[in-house]
Amino acid sequence: MSDPSEALASAKAAADRISKAKRLNACLTPVKELRKSLVAQAQAAHPSGVLYGMPVAVKDNICTLEFTTSCGSRILGGYRSPYDATATAKLKAAGALIAGKTNCDEFGMGSSTEHSAYGRSLHPFDKTRVPGGSSGGSAALVAAGAVPAALGSETGGSVRQPASLCGVVGIKPTYGRVSRYGLVAFGSSLDQIGVLGRSVHDAARVLSVISGRDPRDATCEDRDQLRLPTVPESLQGFVIGIPKEYFPADLDPAVRRACDRAVRLLRELGAAVREVSLPHTGYAVATYYIVAPAEASSNLARYDGARYGPRFNGSEDVRALYRTTRGEGFGAEVRRRVMIGTYVLSSGYYDAYYRRAQQMRALIAQDFRNAFDRGVDLLFTPTTPSPAFKAGEKLGDPVAMYLSDIFTVTANLAGLPAISIPIGRVKGLPLGGQIIGQAFLEDEMLEAAYALERVVPATEEA
Amino acid sequence: MAAAGGAWETVIGLETHVQLRTASKMFCPCSTAFGAPPNTNVCPLCLGLPGALPVPNELALKLAVRAALALSCTVHPRSLFARKNYFYPDLPKGYQISQFEQPLSTNGALSYLSPDRGVATATIVRLHVEEDAGKSLHDRYPKQTAIDLNRCGVPLIEIVTGPDFRSPHEARAYLQTLKQVLEYSGVSDCDMEKGSLRVDANVSVRRAGQTALGTKTEVKNINSFAYVEKALTVERDRQIAALEGGGTITQQTMLYDSKTNGVRAQRSKEESHDYRYFPDPDLPPLVLTEEFITEQQTLLPELPAKKRERFVAQYALSVTDAAVITAERAVADYYESVVHAGAESKTAANWVMTEVLADAKDHGDALRVPPGALANLIGLVQGGYVSHQAAKRVFAQVAERGGEPRNVAEALGLVQVADTGVVAGWVSEVLEANPTEVTRYKSGEVKLLQFFVGQVMKVSRGKADPKLVQKVLEEKLAA
Amino acid sequence: MSVTPDDVRKIAGLAELEVDEATVPALAEQMSRILEYVAQINAVPASEGVKPFIPGPDAVRFRPDEVKPSALAFGPAEFAPAFKDGFFLVPKLGAFEEPEL
Repeated sequence: MSDPSEALASAKAAADRISKAKRLNACLTPVKELRKSLVAQAQAAHPSGVLYGMPVAVKDNICTLEFTTSCGSRILGGYRSPYDATATAKLKAAGALIAGKTNCDEFGMGSSTEHSAYGRSLHPFDKTRVPGGSSGGSAALVAAGAVPAALGSETGGSVRQPASLCGVVGIKPTYGRVSRYGLVAFGSSLDQIGVLGRSVHDAARVLSVISGRDPRDATCEDRDQLRLPTVPESLQGFVIGIPKEYFPADLDPAVRRACDRAVRLLRELGAAVREVSLPHTGYAVATYYIVAPAEASSNLARYDGARYGPRFNGSEDVRALYRTTRGEGFGAEVRRRVMIGTYVLSSGYYDAYYRRAQQMRALIAQDFRNAFDRGVDLLFTPTTPSPAFKAGEKLGDPVAMYLSDIFTVTANLAGLPAISIPIGRVKGLPLGGQIIGQAFLEDEMLEAAYALERVVPATEEA
Repeated sequence: MAAAGGAWETVIGLETHVQLRTASKMFCPCSTAFGAPPNTNVCPLCLGLPGALPVPNELALKLAVRAALALSCTVHPRSLFARKNYFYPDLPKGYQISQFEQPLSTNGALSYLSPDRGVATATIVRLHVEEDAGKSLHDRYPKQTAIDLNRCGVPLIEIVTGPDFRSPHEARAYLQTLKQVLEYSGVSDCDMEKGSLRVDANVSVRRAGQTALGTKTEVKNINSFAYVEKALTVERDRQIAALEGGGTITQQTMLYDSKTNGVRAQRSKEESHDYRYFPDPDLPPLVLTEEFITEQQTLLPELPAKKRERFVAQYALSVTDAAVITAERAVADYYESVVHAGAESKTAANWVMTEVLADAKDHGDALRVPPGALANLIGLVQGGYVSHQAAKRVFAQVAERGGEPRNVAEALGLVQVADTGVVAGWVSEVLEANPTEVTRYKSGEVKLLQFFVGQVMKVSRGKADPKLVQKVLEEKLAA
Repeated sequence: MSVTPDDVRKIAGLAELEVDEATVPALAEQMSRILEYVAQINAVPASEGVKPFIPGPDAVRFRPDEVKPSALAFGPAEFAPAFKDGFFLVPKLGAFEEPEL
């Protein structure tokens, strides 16, 4: 695309498609406002940008000057950010159109998008099921064909897991590959902006644009933009490890079949496949649910109704303002995690919980390093233990919901890049397979993903 | 100095927060300029907006290292930023970025002159970097608190001493020395009025001879050096009175009120001191190269104590005079420039301690007369060209309007007459007019010489060179 | 690891979160469940002396001491819930008195 009229057409078409997908409750931006903005953006976009005219939806926890940034929460209801996230600015500089803000679990805390203050999002194929989370809105919108790509964010798998459940591609970059400036912080040492797309190519293109150094984020590495590999003809020379801990005896047989099929295809593509062990995998969810809530409890302390966002009653004194705003503005899951986080950082518990968890993290990261040092280039695993579950199914026990992150949190804990691509169907519902790569070697990971994507029968029952 | 009550010993430790002299804030590029309209030096970070991230200011770190070295601390090449979590209206993120475990520097010392026991050494337990909070104004609007975040994020160093001071007076002396050292090092202007130096104190008392420390309280809201001494005295007395009355000391925060010269307990919630410190995940470890640290060592100027010693040795000044001149670095440098421009060192010292400092005090600390000019002026006095009194007038003029001292002296008609003939004429005039005194002098009342000198000065309207007058008088009277 | 209702109240206080007294027992139970689950990491003896893992750069990058104009598209007057004469306004401190820096 290089012509303003094409960009305009793209803008209008995107508005139409997003409007049609309204029932999914995936896009939080009112259609009228969205349409008007898309048209204005198309007129202002840089025609020479590599993403010129491409509509990209953005998760509600990433700051954009357009629309609101409410992070799926009441406490930021109606909040308009006075600055763009670096990722947003890079998208715009590349000529992309910001196609609305997508629904998510509040502040990224959840695996189903049921914890949004703005209602749950629906799975595009089955409205009784969840699209996953926390980037469920972005995944649903891409899966419904409303936009070719959308930004999401990951702390414990929140891009890959909904990608798997909705049957789209989801990429999490290496920690430090994409600037976090303007990503509303949840678990700072885990957070990364990721991309959902209809294909590896679409997602990777967008990832490349938003990646690269940013002097405003001290945790962002000083590197150039991500280089995109070409689609390889074969995977000859690649060694792919299959970590046995990700294929427990009680794994859903359909998930196992889908993965086995994908692994067979990887072999047929020329890759060498071998079993490896990542022995501390079993502690990953527990480690994650100490580190992430701890950091969140501190990151969310700024939401108090004092300087921005709505106020809830409680005007007797400033403490009443804080307590009421936070008590009412945060949903139950967020309150719970803030409490857990406060607890594990508090005097007397810090060593046994937080410090221990950071040490545990080192062991988990070491497991990966050991596998890679022994000649493995990439790892292949299921992304999720099951396809999309029913809405309400996991709300009873918080730990049950946490366990749906079991295959994804390790990459966040170790800071490694990972991608989920659709590898089959289970009773008609999509399922993803995951490739985990080495730090800052996204290009190798993408090569394998490209190759597999071409041959895997993603829409066939496993 | 015995504490009130006789048998009590006071133990004081000080925590000082010092703003560093940088143009921009510690973690964001907002201006640190004092006095801007409220909430104009702000950005997403210091407003605590969602998504903002900190990036440390290199100069702030350099100044912090320099301060640490000036206080003989061990600078740790690797240290960590930590979050100190608490809620308060002037703390927009709900946490302060500071340092906790693994601070920038530890284990320093500062010598100072204790009024009680001579040269004493304060132990500097730690010096670390952190950011300042904003300002809450409680009395501007009824029933509301006004918040200004301009100050939020300004770079600070926190300097913590051990429980080293044995009297409020001593604590104040340390503080003045600390200010001097930091000012010398160029890291801060240490102005308590402007808030670039703030101090909190820990105070406890114990029976003399006891080794265990008593329960301490923290004293806050001390806004000047004078109040430091007053506040600590008031709190010490309160504690002693309580203990002598059979009570106990509760560990709590006391706020000093300068209007009443009293302290009151701050109402605070029980859990308020669990700051839940943890390393800030937004900031990788602070790693300083050896070059970074040694560069600051070379940028350290000669510190006050050393300079004082050198001035005594090199310029033959008394310890007291040297102390006055080296109190501020700018003055010490000025003095040396005057001496290097040729002035005799003790004379120069007198001039600096009197005219120069007095003029500076009235003109915002400006050293208005260039060192070279002062040296010239001193030379003119030395050479008898002008009298010392007249020179003061010349000094004032040069300070106000500039100019070359010699030209100014001439313009003001202050040049002394050193022409022997003219002076002889005046002397003769005076001797003729005072025959009785002449006779009395010649018969032994030699102290009348000064009377004659005075008369000649009068007749010459102050222009005669008094030394020459005296000489001529002596000659003529001896004849 | 059992969390009592008193613990819940204390933590809620630290976190400045108002919790409905009626929900305190349930919250105590949920928190206990979660903490019990995560405490399993203490069963791994190897993690005792290990250095904590931090992803990202090994050393923080600095920025030069330069003043840059604010990165805000619009100022606090536009987004603050209560703003007057350039100040953010919040209710009075009341019983909430914290030590200032």
